[in-house]
Amino acid sequence: MKAIVDCNNFYCSCERLFQPKLEGKPVVVLSNNDGCVISRSDEAKVLGISMGVPLFEVRSLLRAQQVATFSSNYALYGDCSWRVMEVLRDILGKERVEVYSVDEAFLELDELGTEELEKLALSIRNQVEQWTGIRVSIGIGPTKTLAKLANRLAKKNKAATNCVMVLSTELEIEEALRRTAVADLWGIGRRYGKQLRERWGIYDGWQLSQVSETFATKYLGGVVGIRLVRELKGIPSREMEDERTQKKMIATTRMFGRKVYDLQEIREAVATYTARAAEKLRRQFSAAGYLSVFIISHAPGQRHGMAYDSHCTLDKPSADSSVLIHAALELVNAIFKPGLVYKKAGVVLGDIVPESARQGSLFDANSSNDNVPLMLAIDNINFSCPPAHQPQHDSILRFAASGTNRGWKMKQEFRSPRYTTKWAEMRKVR
Amino acid sequence: MDSKSFSGPVAYQGSKGFSQQQVRNANATGFGAAADDYMERGIDLNEELIRNKPATYFFRMKGDAMKEAGIFNGDVLVVDRSVPLANGKVIVAVLNGELLVRRFQKNFSSAFLIPENSRYKAINLAEFSDFTVWGVVTYTIHQQS
Repeated sequence: MKAIVDCNNFYCSCERLFQPKLEGKPVVVLSNNDGCVISRSDEAKVLGISMGVPLFEVRSLLRAQQVATFSSNYALYGDCSWRVMEVLRDILGKERVEVYSVDEAFLELDELGTEELEKLALSIRNQVEQWTGIRVSIGIGPTKTLAKLANRLAKKNKAATNCVMVLSTELEIEEALRRTAVADLWGIGRRYGKQLRERWGIYDGWQLSQVSETFATKYLGGVVGIRLVRELKGIPSREMEDERTQKKMIATTRMFGRKVYDLQEIREAVATYTARAAEKLRRQFSAAGYLSVFIISHAPGQRHGMAYDSHCTLDKPSADSSVLIHAALELVNAIFKPGLVYKKAGVVLGDIVPESARQGSLFDANSSNDNVPLMLAIDNINFSCPPAHQPQHDSILRFAASGTNRGWKMKQEFRSPRYTTKWAEMRKVR
Repeated sequence: MDSKSFSGPVAYQGSKGFSQQQVRNANATGFGAAADDYMERGIDLNEELIRNKPATYFFRMKGDAMKEAGIFNGDVLVVDRSVPLANGKVIVAVLNGELLVRRFQKNFSSAFLIPENSRYKAINLAEFSDFTVWGVVTYTIHQQS
């Protein structure tokens, strides 16, 4: 059996853990740069604050209803996430836990009866809450898709289900599928759901689970469709994935904290993002052969600005920050247009290969001219001595191209202290 | 699956996850190398202070409510959420949404949060409806002045 463990309103729960007076009160957490709402407590949901709504649209509502509002505190959320996952690994053994996202994990459970699975889920739920302070809900089913569905139903009615729901008998599965709209199934989404309704008259999960595989191949996107239908029928078709699967593409993009006009400032931002992406690359022992850069200008009155981008292929794949920054800056120079206002930039690394499998180019006289040992030394220093009083993404050792002033940096007006990762920011008690 | 997963909270089995310090050696080229066989890893405070890493949080004491228990302003509290509440334990309590460090004491009919400073009053938990335990204080770290 598969289970999904999902932290309830995760970012809000992390904030509440250290401010218990917010228990029972509305809380929201904002995205990077305080752009929009990305986590809401149940009380905030009741107030009609929707997921992803821009801050400026709800600012007066937040104030009027005294909603506790936080900037994202990724140091805190990352630490709490590790704790939750570690408790799960401790209970079940690490080979049975697949971390799916910062606040979700799939578990591999034995084939047990509904009642025993429920008991198991409750004991897992209680232990995670007792040890870490984070509440989770758990859905269990024969496949990942059905586990997701069970979890959704558990969350919909927390009081009656105790945040735990098991779908194991055919009857339980059919009943659950019948009362779930197709668009609410995992991996379908609104647009695809609409298509299923309008073109094929498929409204609920049960109808979708009954289509033939020929139909699924032909009209539901080939293999993906077959996999989905099988999952709904209770045949596992999305296997446990190795969480250390290497990423095929690494992107670092951010909104600027304010409007940026100046080429020099954009160069600094892009150099910083490239350095971070390169760090991610080295952490998975890979090198990139492709690099692309984009900048987005701000057009007054329009929600989306114009994007300017360009890309290049490197002579040979590299994980060297200085090589990648050099390439990125040349691209920036080419795409930058003076006289515009910019609000966002990003760097994408692609054609990613393992460091070990990297092939030198034919005419490369000195095939080891990458400064890999130097880069690893830099990463180690940046990882082990984060500066105490600087925002979370600053590093001690930086490339000169990333500048020292950083006026373009993220806006985080309401960030709570990093209680669990900084000596100076520990929670005080009386 | 092992039966332990059914029996509720047990001791943390996982690795402590602290990076191993390198075992130093004499780095001698001659006979000194014999001593390398007896080199050990240095004492790591984390091993002693943190029994259950995912359940252990740090807090900082503010004020003198617990000074007679040897907990002073500015001390670091090691709080383990997996340690069960028991009579006489020093705990971080949540009372009316506030976090408080006190000694938990109960007798057959009532429960109290006891300060360790005569200037503070004991709190009778019968008068509060929303008391919860945040965690049990297992160690405190005090810097000598």
